[in-house]
Amino acid sequence: MSIPKLEFPPFHLPPEAEALRADVRAFLKETLPGIKTEDRFASWNTASPEFSRALGKQGWIGITWPKQYGGSERSFLDRYVVTEELLGNSAPAGSHWVADRQSGPLLLRFGSEEQRQAILPRITKGECYFSIGMSEPDSGSDLASVRTRAEPVPGGFRVNGTKVWTSGAHRNHYCIALVRTSGQHGDRHKGLSQILVDLKTPGVTIRPIINLAGRHDWNEVTFSDAFIPESCLIGNEGDGWLQVTSELAFERSGPERFLQNFYVLRELVRVLGRQPARRAASILGRLVARLWTLRQMSVAVAGMMQGGKSPAIEASLVKDLGTIYQQDLPEIARVLAESDATTEEDIADFLDITQYATMMAPSYTIQGGTTQVLRGIVARGLGLR
Amino acid sequence: MDRETRDMLLETADRFFTERCGREVVNGVEKGAWPADFWKEIEEMGLPLIAVAEESGGAGGTLADMLSVLRLAGAHAVPVPLAETAFANLLVSAAGTTPATGPSTVAFGTLALAASRLSGTVARVPFATVAQRFVVVATASDGPKVAVVAASNATIENMPSHAGEPYGTVRFDNATCEFVGPSPVSVERAYELGALMRAMQMAGAADKVLATVVEYCKQRTQFGRPISTFQAIQQMLAELASYVAATIASAETAARDADEGGLAEGGSFSIAAAKSQTSEFAQRIAAIAHQSMGAMGFTHEHILHHYTRRLWVWRRDFGSETFWGEKIGSAYAKAGPQALWPALSASQYAV
Repeated sequence: MSIPKLEFPPFHLPPEAEALRADVRAFLKETLPGIKTEDRFASWNTASPEFSRALGKQGWIGITWPKQYGGSERSFLDRYVVTEELLGNSAPAGSHWVADRQSGPLLLRFGSEEQRQAILPRITKGECYFSIGMSEPDSGSDLASVRTRAEPVPGGFRVNGTKVWTSGAHRNHYCIALVRTSGQHGDRHKGLSQILVDLKTPGVTIRPIINLAGRHDWNEVTFSDAFIPESCLIGNEGDGWLQVTSELAFERSGPERFLQNFYVLRELVRVLGRQPARRAASILGRLVARLWTLRQMSVAVAGMMQGGKSPAIEASLVKDLGTIYQQDLPEIARVLAESDATTEEDIADFLDITQYATMMAPSYTIQGGTTQVLRGIVARGLGLR
Repeated sequence: MDRETRDMLLETADRFFTERCGREVVNGVEKGAWPADFWKEIEEMGLPLIAVAEESGGAGGTLADMLSVLRLAGAHAVPVPLAETAFANLLVSAAGTTPATGPSTVAFGTLALAASRLSGTVARVPFATVAQRFVVVATASDGPKVAVVAASNATIENMPSHAGEPYGTVRFDNATCEFVGPSPVSVERAYELGALMRAMQMAGAADKVLATVVEYCKQRTQFGRPISTFQAIQQMLAELASYVAATIASAETAARDADEGGLAEGGSFSIAAAKSQTSEFAQRIAAIAHQSMGAMGFTHEHILHHYTRRLWVWRRDFGSETFWGEKIGSAYAKAGPQALWPALSASQYAV
């Protein structure tokens, strides 16, 4: 048989990472009760500058980065542990999340020395937040079709165009935008570049896009003759596509792809009580088993990455399975609680929780690469295309 | 054995199964034929003794070595009690005797053992009608024992599994035991290890299903092109790959945890989670595989059913997702909401 073997070699996080886990847990236990957020169940997209600054003080943002930029020079696996503890304990990590996960690493890899020195230390202190400027009204999954144009002018670029679904742009300091700096609209991957945009730049307008749950996370970011200095070009002119693909890999494989609505499972345990009926226990246990498997797969991917491999297919499989699990979870939990409770009133609070989780669930299989796009990547890996 | 030795063994066994365990052997067993030569060759390779100590005539391998061979056997639908015999041999040698040759099987259930006499009934014993002896774990007054009963001392009712393997109900009626020795594992643990064994066989079968379906879709032409070029098929097969990946990952993690933690109790939670996971996804795997292959995969002539039927049977053996889910769910509910994340991230029932 000629198809590549799907292997997720079981991996143990090393002792120093497990030691760090204990420190992170102790910190969260002490810190979280004092943090107020607008979300009842916080997650990686709940913003809290207060929390991010406290985490930064511990040295746990940009934890893998060089010390000269404020990092702690710890391993990728240490970062993995911090990330999953934030998620498993529902910490409001939304302010610094994107900066820590992908913008910082991108600047570290492709940014100029000036950009690194100006920005990375502020990220690690939990004081500088980023948005992702990829999607546009006419460019979703087909990212190479972006129309926002950065025209070279003396000393920089004049930018015109519109970015959408820009999470947190109304709260954050910067956005890294994928723009066309040369060539024509039909040139696809050629002529694209990434630029660092200070969101306070004149000519940049931020308008809210409210999601179906009534939340303001997204924005529309419009550029009207906005001047961006040449020093804000990230990497080489024309390398934008290469850079953005590596950035998407950061976005894909983390534990946020299966722990975003972990609170549903935790609250399900609470509502079922200490001695649930056999059927209820069984359904709960099956959900736990699925989540455990996802975590083991994700840890295995982390282990492969630490070992110098780039398990793109495996990461896509984790994201696919993880997001489907997260969409199943509120539905299974709701029906289980309903059938287990004596009256609906007894579980009214829990039903509100699952209702909210259900409303948020459609986003999971869209953000970070739609399920269908990911399955296309996997199909290519299987040799089907 | 070291990594290199194990890889060599697996490579040799893979070639051997490919050559000697073709569809005629698998179909033959379903018709009631016993592939005596094939079994003899399996014994000559030492596979049933892989996890038996060298001083007892075995290969001195670990539990993990044994499980990796069983995964491979699952990938070839090996229709003889290799898994059961290897497991039985591991138990009897740990209990202090040298394993006998010939096919054996394990029978775990509610059994009464006193003065080397065994009583009780166990349903759905795999390979009940072809095994020369039954190896059981039963609790006597002074702790758990491994007991061996010759097939001639038991009453066996042939009830083939839905995969066509000779399962059956076995009744011990004050049966004389050939051997009784102190068990290295409790009755519950023996069942748990049975579940681990099946999870690894399911990982092998799932892997083979994916490979079979991908190969087929690349060759099957409709509307003038291979059906693998249709997006609808590509999406289905990518989804199939995700379920297969989850099956493999969960089983392999449980195998590692069991091996590292020791025969008596290693990886208890991981095994439960893995058997729940592999059993839960067995149907999703089979459903997509059959849909992709259309009528062709629904025939008896094609080999797909060797694997999908085994997935359906194995998910039921040694506890389905309902059984293991209940075990996990009860423990997690008892520990309460705050213990959920610490326990799950430590692969434990409770911390």
